[in-house]
Amino acid sequence: MGSFAWMRVLESSAERYDRGIRWLSGGRIDEVYRAVAVAATTGRTAARVLDVGCGTGGLALACAARGAHAVGIDRNAGMLAVARAKALPAGASGSVRWLELGAAEIEDVFEPRSFDAVVACLSFSEMTDDEQAYVLEVVRTRLVAGGRLIIADEVRPRQAWRRAWHAVRRWPVAGLAYLMTQTGTRPVDGLPDRVRGAGFVEVGEERRWGDAFAIVQALTGGEAGSAAVRSGAAGAEVEGP
Amino acid sequence: MSRLGAFPQDLGDTLLRMLPHRAPTGLIAIGRPGRDAPVLVTGNYTLTVRRLRRALAGHEAWLLCADSRGINVWCASGGGHFTHHDVIAAMRTTRLSERVDHREVVLPQLSATGVERRRIEEATGFRARWGPARLEDLPDFLARGRRVVQRERLMRFPWRERLEMAVAWGWPLLAIAVGLGWGLVGPGPAVGVGVAVVAAVAGLYMAVPRVRLAGRGRWAVFAVFAVLGALLGALVLWLWQAAGVAAIASTTAAPFVVLALLGLDFEGTTPWYASALAEAGRAEVELVEERCTGAAACVQVCPRGVLVMDGRRRKVRIAEPDACIRCAACIVQCPEDALRFRFDDGRMVEATEIRRTRLNMLGKRTVVVGGGDD
Repeated sequence: MGSFAWMRVLESSAERYDRGIRWLSGGRIDEVYRAVAVAATTGRTAARVLDVGCGTGGLALACAARGAHAVGIDRNAGMLAVARAKALPAGASGSVRWLELGAAEIEDVFEPRSFDAVVACLSFSEMTDDEQAYVLEVVRTRLVAGGRLIIADEVRPRQAWRRAWHAVRRWPVAGLAYLMTQTGTRPVDGLPDRVRGAGFVEVGEERRWGDAFAIVQALTGGEAGSAAVRSGAAGAEVEGP
Repeated sequence: MSRLGAFPQDLGDTLLRMLPHRAPTGLIAIGRPGRDAPVLVTGNYTLTVRRLRRALAGHEAWLLCADSRGINVWCASGGGHFTHHDVIAAMRTTRLSERVDHREVVLPQLSATGVERRRIEEATGFRARWGPARLEDLPDFLARGRRVVQRERLMRFPWRERLEMAVAWGWPLLAIAVGLGWGLVGPGPAVGVGVAVVAAVAGLYMAVPRVRLAGRGRWAVFAVFAVLGALLGALVLWLWQAAGVAAIASTTAAPFVVLALLGLDFEGTTPWYASALAEAGRAEVELVEERCTGAAACVQVCPRGVLVMDGRRRKVRIAEPDACIRCAACIVQCPEDALRFRFDDGRMVEATEIRRTRLNMLGKRTVVVGGGDD
């Protein structure tokens, strides 16, 4: 799989995102969407699914194709415009709606225990560490007891030689993406630990594509949705001069 | 950190200005701020954060450093990399409401192209007010009780910043020109090439804003500075006793080639003109007067003094249309959607579409038409 750093270039023109992300993934991004959608909907009919950072909607639509009632949120209105233009897959019994919303604003719109599953594909790598921690804690409260979290994202390979090879492949693309869009993505470090730290249980990780891509799954404990966001846990302060 | 101590970092950031430089996001204490201290929002561009710390030395304030992807606030907001979503995220992740007793944040005025003030107020319950356009005006702004005066809303482009931009955009072209000169005709002529290029580029930036450097007429001014650069380069060759056909040819050609490349979008490297490449550069801001209620939100965010409030009629008026740089801040912030872009061919782009697409001098090149939230 090519480097997802190129995503920033793709996102600078939402219309070419789908074509580009398929090319980057060697045509395998749809496999990821399907695998995540299966995990989000298995064992639940008409599952309520929140797609955080839905982009052009591929994952939310994959969930809807499996009967889920999906909500896709994204802060990028251009990407959402592309998502809205897409039709539900033929024969899909689910539904999908789209909202322009930042991940840190989920609590403004959705009540606790609103969802059976929360999914995110290639969106955690665009958040700051503080935002990742905050969002994980908020989505835990928006899931029902036993609700499922599934995050698919770029990660650093665990073995040194693979990390080096991944870096060699990634940097030219990342450099070009920087020049074209003035921004970039970064692999998520320690995702399973972050998920555990936010109070999720039964955290599992499946690595793919040269160990540089992960699908992390976790469940809320029995008390999910009842606890408030833990005060102070994700606060970030930089000391004064 | 003192200005001198920070010089290497400032220089590094300036030389690589076109790349992002990420500072940590979070809540930064300036001095020993209490729970009533003002909260000043900024992006996480390292150069800006260091300059803010220096400008605010001796004051007590909270600096809320939101994720602008390591890009300065002006460019990040215009390009869609810094929006109200980022400010809201920073307020939430830092637990700002638990850290201060008041409910007000001060937004950088130059973020108005992408940060919608009302969306922050609706989401957080904080009042969001615009600060001055330039960070060096913050001490006066704070001393005045967080009130902006009109002159602080206007963009300035002082010689030091023009020099910075000349360095940031000129050095890669200079390096290529000198490298080619050295390789083709030797070190002596390379010095002539270097002097010619430096003189032409520096002269050009120093001419802003006294000489108009936008539109087709800019090429005549570019030619003048290329000639001046070539003459200075030739003088160096003569002093260096390195004259020869190849040396004179390369020293004469280099400033013309470099300024021709720079001229493709010289406007876009300044805060003074709309980018020559942006679609918005071909539009005019139009006021739909019957929608205007005189809220004057546009006047508060215009960095060029284009809009003025007509107090007698309780309407805004476009007073200086030629000064407009199509940043679209006025359009984005108008609560009544009373401003829009009108193109030469009669096409109009309304505020809702501009907010959605970041159609401005820095942002989207084309407009994607889409619906609202379902």
